[in-house]
Amino acid sequence: MSDPVIYLDHAATAPIDPRVRAAMDESLAAAPGNPSSGHPGGRAARERIEAARAEVAALIGAPAAAIVFTSGATEADNLAILGAARANAARGRHLVSLRTEHRAVLDPLARLAREGFRVTLLTPAADGLIDPAALERALEPGTTLVSVMLVNNEIGVVQDLAAIAAACRRAGALLHVDAAQAAGRVPFEVGALDADLVSLAAHKVHGPVGVGALYVRRAPRPALEPLAYGGGQEGGLRPGTLAAHQIVGMGRAYALARAALHEEPARLAGLRDRLWAALAPLPDVHLNGHPEARAPHILSVSFGGVDGEALRCELPQLAVSSGSACASGHGEPSYVLRALGRDDALAQATLRFSVGRQTTVADVDAAAVGVRRALERLRALAPA
Amino acid sequence: MTGAGAYSAEVLRLFATTPGAGVPVGPDWRRGEASEPLSATRVEVYLRAEAGRVADCRYRVRGCPHTIAALATVAARLPGSSLADLALDVRALAAELGIPPEKLGRLFVIQDAVRAAALQLAPADP
Repeated sequence: MSDPVIYLDHAATAPIDPRVRAAMDESLAAAPGNPSSGHPGGRAARERIEAARAEVAALIGAPAAAIVFTSGATEADNLAILGAARANAARGRHLVSLRTEHRAVLDPLARLAREGFRVTLLTPAADGLIDPAALERALEPGTTLVSVMLVNNEIGVVQDLAAIAAACRRAGALLHVDAAQAAGRVPFEVGALDADLVSLAAHKVHGPVGVGALYVRRAPRPALEPLAYGGGQEGGLRPGTLAAHQIVGMGRAYALARAALHEEPARLAGLRDRLWAALAPLPDVHLNGHPEARAPHILSVSFGGVDGEALRCELPQLAVSSGSACASGHGEPSYVLRALGRDDALAQATLRFSVGRQTTVADVDAAAVGVRRALERLRALAPA
Repeated sequence: MTGAGAYSAEVLRLFATTPGAGVPVGPDWRRGEASEPLSATRVEVYLRAEAGRVADCRYRVRGCPHTIAALATVAARLPGSSLADLALDVRALAAELGIPPEKLGRLFVIQDAVRAAALQLAPADP
């Protein structure tokens, strides 16, 4: 029998919590009812959705009415970026973001560039952090939107959003924050963040895939153009019948994350640091991202002297993400790591370990042993 | 990430066992090397010849599982081949091991290293 897989890929998706699944089952078993319907089943569905909305809002210190449910953080990013840019086009057509943002941000920006918007993508320092002063210098009178993620999904660095938000205020630009990796791991409140739009995911927080949310500031409320039309749900920003069971799952996941917010981040950071302490003494091993300003659950490490694909193939018992998209054989190194100055070979030989609620000390210790053995074999095989 | 599912059973077997890998010791061995910077693939091939034919082959490699499997296959098949005719059928090897077209360049690295070692054994006429 093969060894059980050690799951260290919570930044990609965190296994659904049994309590979340139970809440979703209960919702699915409830009397039928479209949340927009006035009969008892519909009203009950609406009540479950509003309770979930309140839970999602509570985790980020927002009023419930500021939460717009979407199909996930990708849709939330698209709604924020495409919606804000198009709705504010009469004010200006300049947008600012970072080269290290998630594709769910970069691809909508590329789309807007094809529509005639001007997009400035800034390159963070080698530690992954953007200098807020450098970002402020990129702002112009016609800049309508800045998009910067709170926690980078590949290397886990936490940006100085307070300083970035202040710069946006001075320039009169809206600020969108992709907080898909931050929610439930890095305590934050939207009031302190001073963001206009914040994207959230459920499945990064042990909730279901297929549901997320966009926080939209209530006052002043940013102008947003919806991506789809066909109903008045979610304030007209996201029409369509709401998926009550998915939303209930997200609400339960966020409630659980909020209950654990005072202890869990420190526990995750302890696991992350334990893993790094075991890997750091090995030769030619490189930490990606700022050593301190980073989220507790992500550890990105590049390994010199080995091929990345070979390293991952040598570790079948580890479920981790890579620094490249090489499943098809293209072997294209991560654009994030390249933007930070990692050479192609190191970027390609990168593993992202991300710990979560079920991760144990034994898991990270076993991962470290596995990586050490894999490096020893592959380096012995390689030319000097 | 790329997992074991991206590779055939034969590729995984060769990657795990790397038959023929290592640096040989002895005065009769000749070394050839080649590399490809983009994928950081590096190949060293060691050949020993008898009577104008490859008698033995060893190698070291830094590369992906496909590259390692292909090199192990080549090393197993080279003995007996005439030094005058060491051309590898790269496309046939790729088809045999299920190596995607994007990686053909890595097989040419193997071919270059074999040729470089063979030249050390039988230098070209001036």
